[in-house]
Amino acid sequence: MKKYLCLGCGFSYDEARGLPEHGIAPGTRWADIPEDWVCPDCGTPKSGFEMVEIPYHEEARPA
Amino acid sequence: MSVRFILRAGERGYSYLPAAGLNASYVAGHPDGVITRHSSFNFHEYQSGIPGLGVMKVFGDETFTPNGTGYNMHPHHNFIIMAFVLGGALTHINTIGKIDELSADDYYVFSAGSGGKHSELNIGGADLQVIYVWVLPGQLLAPPSYRHGHFDRAAGANRITCLVGDEPGALPIGQTSKVSRLLSDGGKTHTYRPSRANGFYAFVLEGEADIAEATLTRRDSIALEDEDKIEIAARAAGTDMLLVETKL
Repeated sequence: MKKYLCLGCGFSYDEARGLPEHGIAPGTRWADIPEDWVCPDCGTPKSGFEMVEIPYHEEARPA
Repeated sequence: MSVRFILRAGERGYSYLPAAGLNASYVAGHPDGVITRHSSFNFHEYQSGIPGLGVMKVFGDETFTPNGTGYNMHPHHNFIIMAFVLGGALTHINTIGKIDELSADDYYVFSAGSGGKHSELNIGGADLQVIYVWVLPGQLLAPPSYRHGHFDRAAGANRITCLVGDEPGALPIGQTSKVSRLLSDGGKTHTYRPSRANGFYAFVLEGEADIAEATLTRRDSIALEDEDKIEIAARAAGTDMLLVETKL
């Protein structure tokens, strides 16, 4: 499970968490998100995201 | 020593962002207002092809015309956004609840963390000149924060002053990256000692300096890696530089 970050605004996508509020189920692989999907916050195209290996802050980890 | 790249002032990406037309909701100000931006890095969009240096993704040299030009309120997450004001006045407004006024040699660090919006405005009567630097955070979705700093020219003369990073008197950002300023009378050599594991980026705001056998003039920059001692020979009086040490 990988994490991706929007280089336009910093919005992060986590494959493990998905984006249920945007219709993407937890566990959805980045490769399975449509190529015409854009950042829900700023509209940057999917190609403008970069894979990151950054841990969550303790307040953002699962309980 | 290894030179990653040398980037001349004229080789940087260039954006001209008028406050009218397609940008009208993004760029604040009256219809004649405009932001000009010279970008050292490019998100793979510009011709020079430099995507950044380690965790540093943006180094933008920007000018906002007077009387209201700027960026309207817009969202961020995660990125640590810094502004270093060179001239004019910047009004920063964010959703942490901070409204700040910054003048020449003031700077801020806005950590967007779990989510925050900001607006950047030049409500003054003169051009605003500002450098924006974005770095990736040490942790995702941290509580948002905002801190304000000031570079003291008298105390900072002829030495390297750490503005941001894990140093006494600097604004902390929770990772190993640092931003420093060098102000020199010229004819002097200044030594910066980065961690060998980090990258190093030097940008000439004003003046002229030699680094790694390259002569850099106004708005030129150089990136080095695998080095723990960097000699900066300031050639001109009033040589003024931003130095960024970045986690690779």
